[in-house]
Amino acid sequence: MADSVVMGSGSLNSGSRSGSSKTSTSPTDNYQLARRRTLQVVVSSLLTECGFESAEKAAMETLTEMMQSYYRTNMFHYITEVGRCAKATCEHTARSTPTLSDVVITLVEMGFNVDTLPVYAKRSQRMVITAPPITNASVVPKALIAGQKRTHPTYIPSHFPEFPDPHTYIKTPTFREPVSDYQVVREKAASQRRDVERALTRFMAKTGETESLFKDDISAFPLIAAKPSAIPYLSALLPSELELQTLEETDSSEQDDQTDTENNSSNVSQDDQSADKENVVLPPGGVVPTGKANEENMIDNPYLRPVKKPKVRRKK
Amino acid sequence: MLSYKQNPDPSGLHSRRMNRKKDKGFEICINNINFQRKSVIGYVELTIFPTVMNLNRIKLNSKQCRIYRVRVNDLEAPFIYNDPTLEVCHHESKQRNLNYFSSAYTAAVSAVDPDAGNGELSIKVPSELWKQGDEMKVMKVYIEFSLDQPKGGLHFVVPDVDGSMAERAAHVFSFGNQNSTRFWFPCVDSYSELCTWKLEFTVDASMVAVSCGDLVETVYTHDMRKKTFHYMLPIPTAAPNISLAVGPFEILVDPYMHEVTHFCLPQLLPLLKQTMSYLHEIFEFYEEILTCRYPYSCFKTVFVDEAYVQVSSYASMSIFSTNLLHSGMIIDQTPVTRRCLAQALAQQFFGCFISRMSWSDEWVLKGISGYIYGLYLKKTFGVNEYRHWIKEELDKIVEYELKMGGVLLHPTFSGGKEKDNPTPHLHFSIRHPHTLSWEYYKMFQCKAHLVMRLIENRISMEFMLQVFNKLLSLASTASSQKYQSHMWSQMLVSTSGFLKSISNVSGKDIGPLIKQWVDQSGVVKFFGSFAFNRKRNVLELEIRQDYTSSGTQKYVGPIKVTVQELDGSFNHTLQIEENSLKHDIPCHSKSRRNKKKKIPLMNGEEVDMDLSAMDADSPLLWIRIDPDMSILRKVEFEQADFMWQYQLRFERDVVAQEEAISALEIFPTPASRLALTDILEQDQCFYKVRIQACFCLAKIANSMMSTWTGPPAMKSLFTRMFCCKSCPNIVKTNNFINFQSYFLQKTMPVAMALLRDVQNLCPKEVLNFILDLIKYNDNRKNKFSDNYYRAELIDALTNSLTPAISINNEVRTVDNLNTDVRLILEEITRFLNMEKLLPSYRNTITVSCLRAIRMLQKNGHIPSDPSLFKSYAQYGHFVDVRIAALEAVIDYTRGTHFVLTTNFLCLSFSMLGKLGPFSWSGIFFIFQLVCLLQRLGHNTISPNLMLIFSIYREVLHPSYVQKLFSFIIFIKERYSFTILTGKS
Repeated sequence: MADSVVMGSGSLNSGSRSGSSKTSTSPTDNYQLARRRTLQVVVSSLLTECGFESAEKAAMETLTEMMQSYYRTNMFHYITEVGRCAKATCEHTARSTPTLSDVVITLVEMGFNVDTLPVYAKRSQRMVITAPPITNASVVPKALIAGQKRTHPTYIPSHFPEFPDPHTYIKTPTFREPVSDYQVVREKAASQRRDVERALTRFMAKTGETESLFKDDISAFPLIAAKPSAIPYLSALLPSELELQTLEETDSSEQDDQTDTENNSSNVSQDDQSADKENVVLPPGGVVPTGKANEENMIDNPYLRPVKKPKVRRKK
Repeated sequence: MLSYKQNPDPSGLHSRRMNRKKDKGFEICINNINFQRKSVIGYVELTIFPTVMNLNRIKLNSKQCRIYRVRVNDLEAPFIYNDPTLEVCHHESKQRNLNYFSSAYTAAVSAVDPDAGNGELSIKVPSELWKQGDEMKVMKVYIEFSLDQPKGGLHFVVPDVDGSMAERAAHVFSFGNQNSTRFWFPCVDSYSELCTWKLEFTVDASMVAVSCGDLVETVYTHDMRKKTFHYMLPIPTAAPNISLAVGPFEILVDPYMHEVTHFCLPQLLPLLKQTMSYLHEIFEFYEEILTCRYPYSCFKTVFVDEAYVQVSSYASMSIFSTNLLHSGMIIDQTPVTRRCLAQALAQQFFGCFISRMSWSDEWVLKGISGYIYGLYLKKTFGVNEYRHWIKEELDKIVEYELKMGGVLLHPTFSGGKEKDNPTPHLHFSIRHPHTLSWEYYKMFQCKAHLVMRLIENRISMEFMLQVFNKLLSLASTASSQKYQSHMWSQMLVSTSGFLKSISNVSGKDIGPLIKQWVDQSGVVKFFGSFAFNRKRNVLELEIRQDYTSSGTQKYVGPIKVTVQELDGSFNHTLQIEENSLKHDIPCHSKSRRNKKKKIPLMNGEEVDMDLSAMDADSPLLWIRIDPDMSILRKVEFEQADFMWQYQLRFERDVVAQEEAISALEIFPTPASRLALTDILEQDQCFYKVRIQACFCLAKIANSMMSTWTGPPAMKSLFTRMFCCKSCPNIVKTNNFINFQSYFLQKTMPVAMALLRDVQNLCPKEVLNFILDLIKYNDNRKNKFSDNYYRAELIDALTNSLTPAISINNEVRTVDNLNTDVRLILEEITRFLNMEKLLPSYRNTITVSCLRAIRMLQKNGHIPSDPSLFKSYAQYGHFVDVRIAALEAVIDYTRGTHFVLTTNFLCLSFSMLGKLGPFSWSGIFFIFQLVCLLQRLGHNTISPNLMLIFSIYREVLHPSYVQKLFSFIIFIKERYSFTILTGKS
């Protein structure tokens, strides 16, 4: 819990700072380092108050660690525990931000005599710790404003988040005069296709096995190596998807070209034909599909008949 | 599991032979098909009705089958299996040459010829049954057999991928050259032995077994993992017409004819639908002209991979190559496939239903089926296409016969003496279908249908069709005679029977015609020239013949000559006689009158002609000899160039136009150019004529190089026809809706690329033009695929290549690449690479690219290296690609200095092994080998031939020796390579 709080605030802070931070470390790390440094100063000053002149690094580290840890919830990690309990107390009363009284209660809970605190704070030999240097408040770079930011419509309560910048959801069409010169269009289409094809084949040739026409320079005119396939007739006979697609497109465009009367007449005749010549297609198993049974019953083809079950033991 | 029964049939066929032939009903049952091991197990049961007394030995045909046991009427019978073709020549034989091999091979084939009552398998009838045999009682012969990795007869296609056999699209089908059914089950492998059949095939539940006859029922086996297909073929059928195909086929019931079922391999169903949408029209056509219903109760088409031939017809089913399937976007393949379907269907009537009496009657069947197929072509593709086809076929047979010697349709073998060889000029015996060369057989079929057409010319088509109808109706009456099998001989056609029908129906004597073209080989070679005698107003025509060189024969009889004069077209029939060379033909019109008048043509049309080109003294526009192609002939006719030009422009017959175009090649004049250009521009002109005109124009342009004016030939024409109006350098986006202009658009660049400038280079302008065509090619709005168009554009690039200027054999490197060649290579590389990502139909583009690369190598632009082609030649590429690659490899071995080492031989043979048995690779491989030998100065293969055979034996099954043998002959024919006797 405490971790999450600290982390939460940390990340919030770091969020605001991230703009200005120019170090290579991430903002969160930065923040934690600064915080740790401050804690170390605090620990050192407390030790000085207590009369120590020097401390081993390891001892320092342990004490700092005891005061605060990001990683573990432990009774010895004092500040963290205070924060965690204060948060719990505050949430207990259905609030989200701890107040002074929460902290006080926490301290009391932890068996700390709160009354001694002001006295301690005002002790004479106390060392003043300078506040950690505050980095300059980051300058939020001006976002490019594209279009008018939208305000909430009436049915959305105002505390809801604002709309994001318009450019994230509004399309901004740009117009350029299309090239209409036929020659240029054809030229462009042709060279574009050629470039694509060349790039693609080069890529394929580079990534796979190749054959070469020249012994001295294998990379010149690379040919994708010929690979035998188990069923070569399939790729050689079946139209490629690209061709099928083209066919569909041209078919539809052709129909568009037809006049209505043509369309009607051809449709009628097609319907007639398809009615009585429905192709009957079966899987090799020869099982008759149940659908459209009527129509297929009319077609009496021995290959469409169901396979019979063996009746009597037939002589071998 | 597959089981297959030839029904106990009541035959007891005529014993028309010298042997003690008995005839049979047949029951065959194959019990297992193992795709993994490529093996088949089954049995056959024959029911025999002895027609002679004391039948104690039964001979059957069987090759490569392992026979486990034979029983006759449930009694174990001893048998001997001996296949003499396994070792044609003995190893220790001293004679090692082709002639010796040829005669030994013929003898081996004769020794097992079923028509002579012989066979590889000789069964001794158990002595207990001899008495029964004397009483001529029924005998049942039961044979159990298996086949392991068959090298012929059945072909297994098992793709090497994961999954079950059905998922892998594994399939098996029967195939063979002529009567080759003995390769997959023991039978009487003759076209003249008919019987009814019962066939049973037990196959995996995911597979379909397609075979001849009606599918009676399909029953699961007890474990439900397999099912048995029961077929019945009640129509008497010869064993060679029985076939089988098993695979995980997709089934399509023909939407127009429900008794017709189509099968294709998985995933190809959409293509099958498209391809088959047309079949019913072919059916209707044949049934209508023959006025006879399709004889079988059902018809099945099966499309298989690695098919032996494109089309093969069997009783009530046909097996096609899967590569005939196409989608609706493909233009070029569509007519090709439809032709194949039509051929298959024609053979159903004549070839399957009606079979032949003997091998020498084969021409009748091939002739009739080819002839009715021609009628189909005429109806579907038009008269122009038909006449063009006839001319093409005629040119083919004439060329073949003049080069190789005659093709004899109806050989008679008297007494079986080898010395009476009717075709001494051939290097092989024509006694058996299995000893023939393939090329010869192709030409044989071609000649057969041309001769049928000659008969039609003589007796009229109506009578011709009546004869066919008569043959068919006799046969179908006979076929329904279940218990009178002697009637079944009506289902066999013989030459004499056919001729008798003709004379009965037409009342005409076609004896001389038959004698000339059927009983005798050779074609006629005419030379014609003429002079016009102004005084007598007579055309003096001289027709000479060459009948002494090989493949020719002397013609005596009528010949038709058509003379186009100013006043019209006139037919004259001249009589070619022994010694008359000159013929005087009176002219109808007086020479040139000044009156402007339209000139009437043969077809009644009247046209305006610019007569300024013609000889003012003569009224003759052009002359044609034998315009109807009613003689199998070659005519070399001399007439002036302007006459050819008139003929090209105004004669409406495509054959005349094509003749004129080929004649004009030797007249490179502006007038010829103009005539050709005009033809090119004419929309009404037949597109194949226009295509031919393109190439002729290119040739003329090259001959006229120094005087040629204007842009390169055809460029402005192409621009006008196919480029944008606003920017003439850019081709319109593709729209192939008009097929004629599509074909022209495809061809013109190819022809243009043949143009050469003074330095004998392809003009820069033309090359850039073609490169622009490639660049601006845009197929997005097109309903059809442009793969053939793009492939032809690459061919155009190939055509534009000329030999590189090489400075003393410097090594070709990237740096010294010619700039134009660099552009070309850039395009080819891109095309070839794109093809890997978006393969085109039948990989046409890869094929063209491979050819282009070979051409670049050959012309010395890039280093000559066969390794690329070798990788494309491997098994696993599409067959067209492999063929192109192999051709390139062979070309390579021809074009370079090559050292034949034992290593190379071994390597090549292992490569052949990998190539797989069926594609044409075998042939090409042999080419390669023979070319190698030739390069090494072995102008005679003799001991080497035996070496080839012996090495081959390790790779191929001996049964292939026959096929191989034809290959060698084929090469000899193609490359006029001498295969003669070597050292003895």
